[in-house]
Amino acid sequence: MLDVANMDWRRLLDALPCYVSLQDPELRVIWGNTVHRRDFGEAKARTCSKIYKLRKSQCADCIVKKTLEDGEERSKELQLTTRNGERLNVIAHSAPFYDATNQLLGVVVTKVNITSVKEMQKQLIMVGQTVAGMAHSIKNIMMGLDGGIYIVNSGIKDDDQKEIKDGWEIVLLNFEKLSRLVKDILYCSRDREPNYKLINPNSVVTDVYNLFKDLAVRYSIEIKLDLDPGLDEAVIDPDGLHTVLANLVTNAMDACKMDLWKDTHLIEIRTKIGSDGSTIFEVADNGMGIDKELKHHVFEDFFTSKGDKGTGLGLMVTQKILKEHGGEITFRSRPSHGTTFVAIFPKRSIEGAKSGNEGR
Amino acid sequence: MPKKILVVDDEPHLVKYMTAFLEDSGYETCSASNGEEAMEVLKKENPDLVTLDLQMPDETGTRFYRNMTKSKLHKDTPVIVISGLPGRHLAVSQPFAVFEKPVDRDALLEAIKKAIG
Repeated sequence: MLDVANMDWRRLLDALPCYVSLQDPELRVIWGNTVHRRDFGEAKARTCSKIYKLRKSQCADCIVKKTLEDGEERSKELQLTTRNGERLNVIAHSAPFYDATNQLLGVVVTKVNITSVKEMQKQLIMVGQTVAGMAHSIKNIMMGLDGGIYIVNSGIKDDDQKEIKDGWEIVLLNFEKLSRLVKDILYCSRDREPNYKLINPNSVVTDVYNLFKDLAVRYSIEIKLDLDPGLDEAVIDPDGLHTVLANLVTNAMDACKMDLWKDTHLIEIRTKIGSDGSTIFEVADNGMGIDKELKHHVFEDFFTSKGDKGTGLGLMVTQKILKEHGGEITFRSRPSHGTTFVAIFPKRSIEGAKSGNEGR
Repeated sequence: MPKKILVVDDEPHLVKYMTAFLEDSGYETCSASNGEEAMEVLKKENPDLVTLDLQMPDETGTRFYRNMTKSKLHKDTPVIVISGLPGRHLAVSQPFAVFEKPVDRDALLEAIKKAIG
């Protein structure tokens, strides 16, 4: 039977899922509940700044100190580090702890872990930025379409075939941009199994090359192919591969356009067979390169260094496609010298693929 | 003599669009694809007005604008900012007018007429 009158209240506190601790007037933690002991170790009268590895700025307006001074309850968001080095975001709450004679003995601190909420908040902010980025991309594409249509119309009026052709090319270019953007958005918004087919990897590369080579010339960029003739087949989702290559070439072109130090630029698309039978695609450019500080952000969702012109979707989609194939993507880069992205698709037999109907 | 307009945009097809449209409307045009080139063309061609895309990489657009307002010869040349990003014009102190992409052609033409006739 529950005997409330003689109950050890510490056991009740031990059952709580949030951190509960008691600190004395010297800010030493003299007791912590089970989860507190689990994540921060035995208190051993260490001070809170030591136990939670707080930064000096966080201690500047300490809620425990203030509660000790005036007996008022307070709360504050804090970032703590557990004994395993894990970072936690918590809401800390401090309440005065009195004895029977109303003497202030210390402060009871309760901390609720809100790390996952913070993570969600960060993601929502990023989604918002992405949507804004996409709106700008669409606006730019609309202006391009507007321009192409205007030039076609004016060519028709003047009966000028060259102008009609130029204008139409602008319309097609922007149409292609729009469909790529929509594909990227769709790709991000759902999980899908790759539609495996037996393909010739070099011919997909050639398709992408044909799509970009004329556009590249306008920016004084030459695209070269270095294809391994021995690579005649692989089991890869052709649409996925096309998207990966188109995204990597678009990025390479942007890196060249943003590099003002060279007059002409070069992009090379290479294919190779890995020693384990994997299919390797490389897209190398001699553009502006990726700064040290940006290197570890490259594969972050929605990350872009292109301001209004990027959506941060390109590499996110690229990485997603590679993951779905069980492959990987890496890069090496030297600032102001260029960047090479390497996409590796593992060897796969068509029998193992869901949609395959041809034997190998 | 027709008035001359400098079109600054890093997207070649937008340059083509703007110059075609402005020429059809009776203006002479010249163009540049980045801020540095724009400064050169500005000195050489002495345009009566500049349309400027502020979305160019490396902020060369805003730098160009700052240099232009510092130049004695060109500081009074009206600038019309064209941007895909609302509020971006705040990077520029006193544009004559601001248009968001996609640009309303008639309104743009009206603004140009108001500025230089």
